[in-house]
Amino acid sequence: MQWFTADLHIHSVLSPCGGLEMSPQNLITQVKKKGIDWMALTDHNSLANCPAYATVAEREGVYFTWGVEVQTSEEIHLLIYFDSSEKGKKFGELLYNSLLPIDNNPDFFGDQVIIDENENILQMEPKALINSSIWNLNTTVETAMKYGGFCVPAHIDAEVNSIISQLGFIPDNPEFNLFSITARANTELLISRYPSLKGKSFLRASDAHYLSDVGSGTSKILVKEPSAYELAQAALKAEGRKIVV
Amino acid sequence: MPRLSEIQDLISGTNLTPELDPTQINITGGYAGDMLSDVMSSAKSGQAWITIMKHLNIVAVASLVEIPAIILAKSNIPEAAVLQKANAEKICILSSPRDTFTISGILYKLLNPDY
Repeated sequence: MQWFTADLHIHSVLSPCGGLEMSPQNLITQVKKKGIDWMALTDHNSLANCPAYATVAEREGVYFTWGVEVQTSEEIHLLIYFDSSEKGKKFGELLYNSLLPIDNNPDFFGDQVIIDENENILQMEPKALINSSIWNLNTTVETAMKYGGFCVPAHIDAEVNSIISQLGFIPDNPEFNLFSITARANTELLISRYPSLKGKSFLRASDAHYLSDVGSGTSKILVKEPSAYELAQAALKAEGRKIVV
Repeated sequence: MPRLSEIQDLISGTNLTPELDPTQINITGGYAGDMLSDVMSSAKSGQAWITIMKHLNIVAVASLVEIPAIILAKSNIPEAAVLQKANAEKICILSSPRDTFTISGILYKLLNPDY
């Protein structure tokens, strides 16, 4: 097994409120500078930029996992990771069709840019990605599992769009083994307030929308290889795997 | 068309954005909701928005939908940064001790006196 320094919640130029500075080359250069060797791209409600960033990450020797940050109908942000890019793409298509039909307003939320590995703009995403799917939490998790996705509630200590802020508690079902937290989160405090988190694993991540945020939150992960499957196994602390935040 | 100041009186509202004058703001209707995506897709320009949410994103959504006034129910008061942003975006924020149901009822009656 091997230790990785991971930041598994990073946005690209596709995400509204994200900086245009987050181009593939800029982002991956910054990731390396911060000593991160495993990253995941998790744009709001879209995996459309994963191919470009995966290509540049591979070229630069950074391990890359396909991901997405879904906003459920309860306005909960849920990170989903995929080992199969094909299944990730298919899930992404279903997700796209489940989004509420609201157009992006670039004056407010910025342009949503789909880009290739050479930083050519392929398309401006017209649908508002900072928006909800019609899928609720259960449906999102069920659908993701059909496509091999591993689900992790995002920034659970945040005041907005976290499973706790939206529901007021952590539900028994669907059951999660891993909970993502912000750069500043105090896990002991969280467990004392929400005792059902006891024994669960945490994943600290930056949720970077700008270059300067990259690596502000990271986790040390001991696994056989940097993959969604291994992350899920590490969440269960299987055979000595672990995540240290 | 009622002025926001009339509503403010009826709901015992406090103006948290004193740079903005409720007597100069016309209200064409109302919308109540605590889901940003719902408000984004269903609220209309000119309406007052009644909510218990008090984070910064409410100002962005109000600005996007062209909502001139947010009424915070149950005496909710946002952080100073939210009020600064609201002032800058010219979105008046009132805080009322009444709950969403009661404020909605009062506003509905004001807008539909014959109902």
